[in-house]
Amino acid sequence: MTPPSDTLLLFGRFHPLLVHLPIGLIVVLAFLELLACWPRLKQANASAGAILALAVPASIITAVCGWLLSLAGGYEAGLLQWHKWTGIAVAVMCAVIGLVYWLDLKKLYRVALSATFGVLVWASHYGGSLTHGKDYLTRYAPESLQTLLGGASTPAPGRNRGGTLADKQAFADVIRPMLGNTCISCHGPEKAKAGLHLDTHPALIKGSENGPVIVAGKAADSPLIKRIVLPADHEDHMPPAGKPQPAADDIALLRWWINAGAPDDKKISELKVPPDIQKILDKRFAGAMAGAGKAESVVQPLPLAAVLPLAEKLTDDLNIAVSALSPSEPWLQCNASIAGTNFADADLAALAPLAANLRWLDLAGTGVTDAALAQVGAMRHLTRLHLQRTAITDTGVAHLAGLAELESLNLYGTAVTDAALGTLGRLAKLRQLYLWQSKVTPEAAKAFAEARVDKEQIAKWEAEIEQLQAQIKDQHIAVEAGAPASAAADPGPIPINTVCPVSGKLADRTRTTVHEGKIVAFCCDNCKAKFTKDPKPHLAKLAQLANPPPGNLGLAKAINTKCPVSGKDVDPTRTRLHDGKLVAFCCDDCKAKFDQDPKPFLAKLGLDSPDSAPPKEQKQ
Amino acid sequence: MQPLTEFHQRQTRRLFFKNTGLAAGRIALATVLGPGLLRAAANVRQQRAHPSLPGLPHFAPKAKRLIYLFMNGAPSQLDLWDYKPRLSGLYNTDLPDSIRMGQRLTTMTSGQKRFPVAPTIYKFAPHGQCGTLVSELLPHTAQIVDELAVIKTVHTEAINHDPAATFLLTGNQVPGRPSIGAWISYGLGSEAENLPAFVVMTPRWSAKRPAQALYQRLWGAGFLPSKHQGVALRSQGDPVLFLNNPPGVDAATRHTMLDGLAKLNQAAFERSGDPEIQTRIAQYEMAFRMQTSVPELTDICGEPKSVLDLYGPEASVPGTFAASALMARRLVERGVRVVQILHREWDQHENLPRDLSLQCRDIDQACKGLILDLKQRGMLEDTLVVWGGEFGRTVYCQGELTQTNYGRDHHPRCYTMWLAGAGVRGGTAYGETDDFSYNIVRDPVHIRDINATILHLLGVDHKRLIYTFQGLDQRLTGVEEANPVKGILV
Repeated sequence: MTPPSDTLLLFGRFHPLLVHLPIGLIVVLAFLELLACWPRLKQANASAGAILALAVPASIITAVCGWLLSLAGGYEAGLLQWHKWTGIAVAVMCAVIGLVYWLDLKKLYRVALSATFGVLVWASHYGGSLTHGKDYLTRYAPESLQTLLGGASTPAPGRNRGGTLADKQAFADVIRPMLGNTCISCHGPEKAKAGLHLDTHPALIKGSENGPVIVAGKAADSPLIKRIVLPADHEDHMPPAGKPQPAADDIALLRWWINAGAPDDKKISELKVPPDIQKILDKRFAGAMAGAGKAESVVQPLPLAAVLPLAEKLTDDLNIAVSALSPSEPWLQCNASIAGTNFADADLAALAPLAANLRWLDLAGTGVTDAALAQVGAMRHLTRLHLQRTAITDTGVAHLAGLAELESLNLYGTAVTDAALGTLGRLAKLRQLYLWQSKVTPEAAKAFAEARVDKEQIAKWEAEIEQLQAQIKDQHIAVEAGAPASAAADPGPIPINTVCPVSGKLADRTRTTVHEGKIVAFCCDNCKAKFTKDPKPHLAKLAQLANPPPGNLGLAKAINTKCPVSGKDVDPTRTRLHDGKLVAFCCDDCKAKFDQDPKPFLAKLGLDSPDSAPPKEQKQ
Repeated sequence: MQPLTEFHQRQTRRLFFKNTGLAAGRIALATVLGPGLLRAAANVRQQRAHPSLPGLPHFAPKAKRLIYLFMNGAPSQLDLWDYKPRLSGLYNTDLPDSIRMGQRLTTMTSGQKRFPVAPTIYKFAPHGQCGTLVSELLPHTAQIVDELAVIKTVHTEAINHDPAATFLLTGNQVPGRPSIGAWISYGLGSEAENLPAFVVMTPRWSAKRPAQALYQRLWGAGFLPSKHQGVALRSQGDPVLFLNNPPGVDAATRHTMLDGLAKLNQAAFERSGDPEIQTRIAQYEMAFRMQTSVPELTDICGEPKSVLDLYGPEASVPGTFAASALMARRLVERGVRVVQILHREWDQHENLPRDLSLQCRDIDQACKGLILDLKQRGMLEDTLVVWGGEFGRTVYCQGELTQTNYGRDHHPRCYTMWLAGAGVRGGTAYGETDDFSYNIVRDPVHIRDINATILHLLGVDHKRLIYTFQGLDQRLTGVEEANPVKGILV
């Protein structure tokens, strides 16, 4: 077919603009006619004539424009044919209703209008599929609805296929899915603008009607890349403004693939992968890699809707909790620990149909035994497993060797021994292992943890930390710790206990006495009296309650045991701060004397520095 | 007003149309889907004591449980977490206007002639591998700082205790909204069949008395069905009153009586349709089950000495914070979804050094014990622990300032909270305040963001946990912007 002239195309391009006018008008006509069926609104269709006067020419002009646009090509032939002929049919039928209306054939008019309406819906759907792609409408519909409509979406080829990253096909698994997100709605099987298909490798190499779009080995010279990296407002920029744009990572991958010769069937491992590309690939396939290497042998989880009824039934029958981890993934969590020892091996067997969906399993404190752990070993997607406080032993743990995705395993309060660590060493993803109150020796646990450390990575991080610390030093923001020297704390009578050693009630910190140089508080004066009379019976309780106050408060000891004024034994609650040092006195009189003029007493304290600053004002 | 009349008055035109429309839709849907499907779903959900809403969690959760340590009264961030070394040279100087920027003050200090800077008298030192600075008032908590994400830039809008605590714990300063525990109970339910989904404890405290009042709305259900409100365990005597059967009544008789009562209540429900009657039926049933579950819960004889020692010497003294922390662990171990401990009187307007040290002693070792105990049991990886008050305290002194004594007023512009456990990046110090710990310099975190973060870690999108009431789609975080604090998440 020879391409149409520019003038014709100019008119052709008005098709998408005009097309909604006749659609709207025909819908309005049908609606008015529907209203007019109701006797009270008989007059509703009075304006049908005027609307028809606009609808008939509009539909004909739209059809003509559409036909001109179709001459330009670039659309999937099958779909285009359907759209073209249904569209023309709408225009013709529109003209027919116009005629029938003019002839005032009421009944025939209604029949013709309904028929036109039907064809219109059909034609519009084809039109929409041409521009947006066949599964545009149903792509985000629930699966059940998609099946119902017969348009089950097929996942983009290549994604989520098993196998390790190195086994992935460079084109089929990396490049093709990416093009599918951004390019293929216009350059694909249904619509090939400029004759360019990007959905298969041969078509991509063949290029467009203007020639190849890829120069193998030279990404920078490839028109495909050139147009993608043009400024977004440039008229040759692809994808056109307003359409989804490829991410920076996508462009990097595309460049890498073209530079590698744009191969069709090479695996990633056969190509040279620079570190930055590796990073992107790792990120992209992180989810799909979850079952790396074993993808073939691991049972894939069933859809959530298929397992939830059983999950709910088990929840009720066994008094456990089985529920979805989230509505968007197939994973289940099961908490059987709430059933305690009522939950035994036989009950665990009932979970077998859910094995492929279970992600978290909590069997803490249940009655399960070693024999049943074979069932758990079959739950290949488990990431968290709680077996604490059960009767399991090393024999049971041996069944867990195949749990390749397990990240956290709780074995505290079980009889497992060092031997179990041998099995667990095979779990590559294990990050948390709880062995408190088990028979595993601390040495073995330590060795186990150390063996799993990635020393290379840690060395790298340590080097990085050193660098950063050097930077911090350079910027002089090293943190200094310590409060001002002048602000030493006043100890005050802060007791060593908060609970009364006599009654066990909360102590009142104002009701105190001094016992062996420590301040003890009581709940009431009665208790205080009891204690002072005979402290012995309460001393054990006091020792248990004695709770050294945090900080330097209360703990701070006076520098003296004898009063500097009288020479008697001091009362540790009668203190004052002198030049940053705590001085204790025997009574308030001595304290007052010292306050008036401390100088004569300083020698007794070993503080012979009369020139130092006078003591500062004290306030409680 | 009569509850029944009130209920009938609530049947507005809008509600009538909504319910009729929904019912019609349900009939249509049921016809299409076949009768078995819908009824089956409805039946299964009815039987659980604490069912979750369909579709929740919204995404795979990091945390299954929440322990919320609420320090009522507002702990001083300046003396505990937010180290400001440059203040030491500014003792007794006036707070610059450029820092205060005309901020409103409470009436307790708005009359003060000057606002002298009161540097903390406590020493700070870096702790753990992360080197987060912690005050000497918290020597035990300092030992677990590698497990904590300390957020120094939490801020709020309220300036007085009542609205501020209500804001933090219910998402709104105006009383009447459901508390965060009630929201979580409503959305996620609980796996524990024999205990409430949301349990509250109010341990005693050591600083001055009387303290700020606590009020039940801090753990109330607001407009949510009232079965979601927190069940408060008493701090003295029996933790739950009237749990024991009266003399002469054995368990079987009591159950027969309760069954009969449930039938009567069911009949009343069918007559009036008041959903609160369903709550009442469920509560009687729960109370019956708690007759066996609570004594088992509160009997700590089985706890080895090594565990009690973790929580400190007060762990076996009922009513203390340490005992409550131990109980919190026992509760979440038995499947309770949310445990909240409200420790009172962190309101140091005066005598801060003395009272704050007493308060810290109440909680310090118990906080460490809780974290370490959860950790050794492997529960820290799916339990979220939150610590904090309703606002911060001022850098300037309230009342007389001396070298050893000072007080601090309320300060909503910045304060410190910490989170630990499930999904939280331990050893993080998030956000930065200015040299006076007065304004936020970097990474502000509104208390709405804290609530959004808590819900996020529990697998709940705070924008989608909604209850329609008074014509609004109500949610915990309200209508203003709130975002989970990504910087502290793993």
